[in-house]
Amino acid sequence: MFNSLDISTSGLIAQRTRLEVTSANLANRYSITDAQGNYSPFRRRMAILSTGDPSTGSSEGVHVRTIEQDQSDFRKVYEPGHRFADKDGNVNYPNIDPAMEMINALDASRAYEANITATEATKAMIQSSLRLLA
Amino acid sequence: MIQGMFDSGALPALERLAQFTESRHRVLTNNIANLSNPYFKARDLDVKSFQAALTQAIEDRRGGGGRTNGPLHVRDTAQLFFRTDGITAHADEIHENVLFHDQNNIDLERNMQRLAENTMTHNAAIELIRNQFSLIQMAIRERP
Amino acid sequence: MTDPLGLIGAARGNMVPKAPAGPGAPGEGGGPSFNDVLLKNIEQVNKLQQDAEHAIEDLTTGKRDDVAGVLIAKQKADMAFQMLQQVRNKLVDAYEEIKQMRV
Repeated sequence: MFNSLDISTSGLIAQRTRLEVTSANLANRYSITDAQGNYSPFRRRMAILSTGDPSTGSSEGVHVRTIEQDQSDFRKVYEPGHRFADKDGNVNYPNIDPAMEMINALDASRAYEANITATEATKAMIQSSLRLLA
Repeated sequence: MIQGMFDSGALPALERLAQFTESRHRVLTNNIANLSNPYFKARDLDVKSFQAALTQAIEDRRGGGGRTNGPLHVRDTAQLFFRTDGITAHADEIHENVLFHDQNNIDLERNMQRLAENTMTHNAAIELIRNQFSLIQMAIRERP
Repeated sequence: MTDPLGLIGAARGNMVPKAPAGPGAPGEGGGPSFNDVLLKNIEQVNKLQQDAEHAIEDLTTGKRDDVAGVLIAKQKADMAFQMLQQVRNKLVDAYEEIKQMRV
């Protein structure tokens, strides 16, 4: 019975990580330099989920296997006066589409809520079994 | 006779379980209280070793014959010291989670799950103890 | 379910659930004596209680995690105990009543 709580928790953690990745994407929509100040536009990150839960050693549940970078083309913005403009006057901005990120954020938070609901259901089941004792 | 009444059945094991869940509850709520405390490391009591110690004690009591009465002698574990009137617990830091940038490693979901599990186990233990007492009372009063 | 302890059937001499365990004075109808039936049932209740206690101990040590199953076993054992207690109470009542009778 407590196993299903483990499963729901692994789902919560995975969805929270997804949401964190999405937030990082949205926050870095205009980040075109790395931490050292070198020109290196931020690449969109994607959380890759996979079945199984290594933290409990179970084949049930879900976990974030890796966080990969989206290799699609950067968004080109024509800014000829920009310090990092190329020969055509374009600057590469991160390949992040806010609409897509918002939908992902919505999806992750709904999935988080679904796992919370499953947890609540499990808790209610265990608690109600206590009522077997008169 | 009197002590034998309280050492009967699963009552001693349930008492130990309730004491353990109480101790663990303190540890887990402490983790939540320190949720945004930099450099704080989450702590927990090892359920597996508690269960192993309790299993050993119960096996000893059963003595191969499936006996269900007599006192229960639980041996101490690395974290738990079983006194006659309770448990002294020393929770260890857990190193399971990647550290956040403030060096705090509490995984809120995991901690809340443990808290829920612990609370429900505690409730089950208390409910069963209450039931055991009412059964003994029933036998004493000769009436349901 | 109308005869959970098998006592009514036993009184008619066609006790279905169990035969007498050991030597005992047989009832007039040739069936098992009331004494045997009662002892048998006490043993049964005791067994149920012991099994329930084992189940609870297994729950505390994490060997089992089906809370409902354990609680049902416990509840069954308790009900059996209550049933037996009531039978015993009725017996004592009957004895008291007979004791009050004037000959």
